[in-house]
Amino acid sequence: MDISFLIQLLLNGLVIGVIYALIAMGLSLIFGVLEIVNFAHGEFYMLGAVAAYFLTTNLSIGYWPTIALVTVGAAAVGYILYELLLSSLRGEGFERSILLTLGLSMVLQNGAVFLFTTTPKMMLSPLTYSNVIMGDVRMPVLRLFALGLGIAAFIALYLILYRTQVGKAMRGVSQNREAAMMVGIDPRAVSRLAVAIGIGLSGLAGAALAPIYAVHPLMGFSFVFKAFAIIIIGGLGNVSGAAIAAIALGVLESLIGGFLPTVMVDGLAFTAMILILLIRPQGLFGRGVRV
Amino acid sequence: MNNPLMSGRMRATLVVVGLVLLFAVPSFTRNEYVLALGVSFATFAVLSGGLNLVYGYAGLLSFAQVGFFGVGAYAAALLVTDANWPVWAGALAGAVLAALMGLGVGYSSLRLSRHAFAIVTLSFALLCMIVSRDWVSLTRGAMGIPGLAVPQFSFPGGLSWRLNKPADFYYLLLGLAVACQAVIYAVVTSRIGRALKAVKMNEPLAQSQGINPLRYKLMAVTLSAFMTGLMGGFFVFYLTIVDPSIFDFYYTETMLIMVILGGAGSFWGVLFSSAILTLLPDMLRFTTDLRMVLYGFILILAMLVFPGGIGGWFERRRIERWRKVPYGGRGTP
Amino acid sequence: MSNASNSMRAPLLEVRGVTKRYFGLTAVDNLSYTVEAGSIVGLIGPNGSGKSTSIDCISGFQPVDGGDWFLDGQPLAGLAPHRIALAGMTRTFQTVRAYDELSLLENLCVASQESDGQGWWQALRRGAGVREAEAKAAARGRELLETVGLSAYADAPAAVLSYGQRKLLAIAASMMARPRLVVLDEPVAGVNPTMVRHIEKVIARLNGEGVTLVIVEHNVEFIMNLCQRVIVLESGQKIADGPPGLIRSDPRVLAAYLGQARAADLEKASA
Repeated sequence: MDISFLIQLLLNGLVIGVIYALIAMGLSLIFGVLEIVNFAHGEFYMLGAVAAYFLTTNLSIGYWPTIALVTVGAAAVGYILYELLLSSLRGEGFERSILLTLGLSMVLQNGAVFLFTTTPKMMLSPLTYSNVIMGDVRMPVLRLFALGLGIAAFIALYLILYRTQVGKAMRGVSQNREAAMMVGIDPRAVSRLAVAIGIGLSGLAGAALAPIYAVHPLMGFSFVFKAFAIIIIGGLGNVSGAAIAAIALGVLESLIGGFLPTVMVDGLAFTAMILILLIRPQGLFGRGVRV
Repeated sequence: MNNPLMSGRMRATLVVVGLVLLFAVPSFTRNEYVLALGVSFATFAVLSGGLNLVYGYAGLLSFAQVGFFGVGAYAAALLVTDANWPVWAGALAGAVLAALMGLGVGYSSLRLSRHAFAIVTLSFALLCMIVSRDWVSLTRGAMGIPGLAVPQFSFPGGLSWRLNKPADFYYLLLGLAVACQAVIYAVVTSRIGRALKAVKMNEPLAQSQGINPLRYKLMAVTLSAFMTGLMGGFFVFYLTIVDPSIFDFYYTETMLIMVILGGAGSFWGVLFSSAILTLLPDMLRFTTDLRMVLYGFILILAMLVFPGGIGGWFERRRIERWRKVPYGGRGTP
Repeated sequence: MSNASNSMRAPLLEVRGVTKRYFGLTAVDNLSYTVEAGSIVGLIGPNGSGKSTSIDCISGFQPVDGGDWFLDGQPLAGLAPHRIALAGMTRTFQTVRAYDELSLLENLCVASQESDGQGWWQALRRGAGVREAEAKAAARGRELLETVGLSAYADAPAAVLSYGQRKLLAIAASMMARPRLVVLDEPVAGVNPTMVRHIEKVIARLNGEGVTLVIVEHNVEFIMNLCQRVIVLESGQKIADGPPGLIRSDPRVLAAYLGQARAADLEKASA
């Protein structure tokens, strides 16, 4: 077996896994703090990619500024989203939050289809054809950037969650909402920030992947369901669990896809989720909340 | 349930008149567009009725319905095409298979939290689509199975009915829809439906009264899976092709809107809204995308402002009327 | 029913060594007691003593970490809550529960429908058996509504009831299936004094018709008036068990409620 082939697969899987992780961590954070399953999460990933495409292609803004703008923009959108729609839900009747975010996803997705049609668009950048070559392993520079961005985002998220007051508050609310409120944590402020971070991560993922895969309105749709499966596998509400499960899934998908026919790849996430639910319903890493 | 709008007798009359009119339609027009609308209404009436049973009465937000629909469709198509089964047997087998899957999905996921249940049912539907697309040796993959046979039903006594006109499918699917709705109605207006609603309204209270929530929930899931699968098993012959698009999320979104708008748990509300939402968009000539955007807005609005839908509004009015009546009398504490 | 051999007859409810732990805290600690058929037993104790938790345990709503309990000799440990209800032990809840959208009469009919022997097939066919069972349930429901004093609201949705009236409805509902033992969880908490007296009378009347009752309450006077026997819990443990008169002056009970110093004062005062 070709070692460089294996390394190639691993690296590809790592990149995809990191992207999965960005999306899944945001989803997990929002669920942990607000108890809301955000059905529209994939649409913000898609919007991030669309925005990146627009900024790069139509406004000729460079790669790094685009990434920064899209991420900040997505976080702002998340903030507005919370204020406008989610704050009134407040955890009462969980079906309402699922259906509301589902409605949002319908608006965004079909709106995008209506505005941009389903034709995928390729985002070209001067770096598109640059590769880093190490022996027989070829890694496109853009993928490496995506990997780097993902790792940077992990570190930033870790620092926020574990080194700042508000991050600790988020973890507190995630584990025990009542107790957190009793010690004076304002759930609104914490929720707002959680949504902003979650959506921001999604947007970042979209912008990072836009030059690598084609941009089209339905790209979020296929990712979000995998993200659901990932957060169940990692443990509902467990952000680091989601990250680990996501990277593992990315690598596994890549490896299996390299050696077996691709038919098996797409169903992997859901099959794994079903197995986990049967054997260990609280997820691989669990949480305070029972599944 | 007391309907404040009309008496039972008036409602029954309206239903009979409505049915007579519906079945008379093909005698007045051969317009295929109208007949197609009728087929669409019949199909969505069963889809949304089944979802209403599971969500509105049992309180389970399940996204698996489209999975059962497609399973019934594929099973029927495969049995008829590959094993030469008669159509009615294939559809019935599809229904049974769907019911068994419903039992399986229900039994394994009803013990989980409601969030996990929603995600699992969603993943079930997705897995069905993935399998239909990728397991080519079983399902012929993305191309599906085109050119399905024209159904022919043979009755004892030599009569046979070949469904080669749109009107034929209109009668068949409408008849099926009426039968399914009748079953749903019989269940939800019986004490079974009452217990189901009790479980949804206050599960611990129901448990303390001897009601086994799992049993009732499983019954709702399995029954609705059966009916949905049965409908799929026949519908696919109207389409004359089965392919992975039978699992489209579009069906899920549409039936959800119908249930939410009609009022989850309101039999007539959901039936009414499924009629409106089948006819109206076509009359307004919306493209699918815009229609979905509109549905999305309605869903958001509904969740923020009127989660109970039309049926819920009537229910609240009924309760408010009782509040206004002054009470008093001997022994009233 | 002859009372001559009362002391020889096995108790209706026997609780043996029930223990429940929450994250290292022992909420119910090796609790054992018996309840004689036909009696009213009170279960009191300061906040956090484990009264309601022990009820959740024996009614099947919380898993236990140890112990057994028996209703008329039938073991109930490990049974799901609905099975325990069908075995003859029903309960009410501290957070008063009712089916808000159903009428009072419908609320009561639901409460007995699983116990009248009519299955699903009969229910669908709406055959004579089910119709008769429903009629009987409706009649019994009206009777119970009369007993608790809510007859005027029989067809009103439960949502229109006041807090105290909901408690009455819950008591009525718990009686519908002719249970042998009913556990009332704080039946008079948060209720005005007139209603407290009314509920006391209702409970006494129901007991007179043969129902055995276990009542968890904070209102000590209510318990002392009504119960033939009182069990006192503190920090999950049973610290006293006897007739109201004895409990009232039991130093351990006084200490649990009032604190050591005050209890000592009272003891000195009554010496």
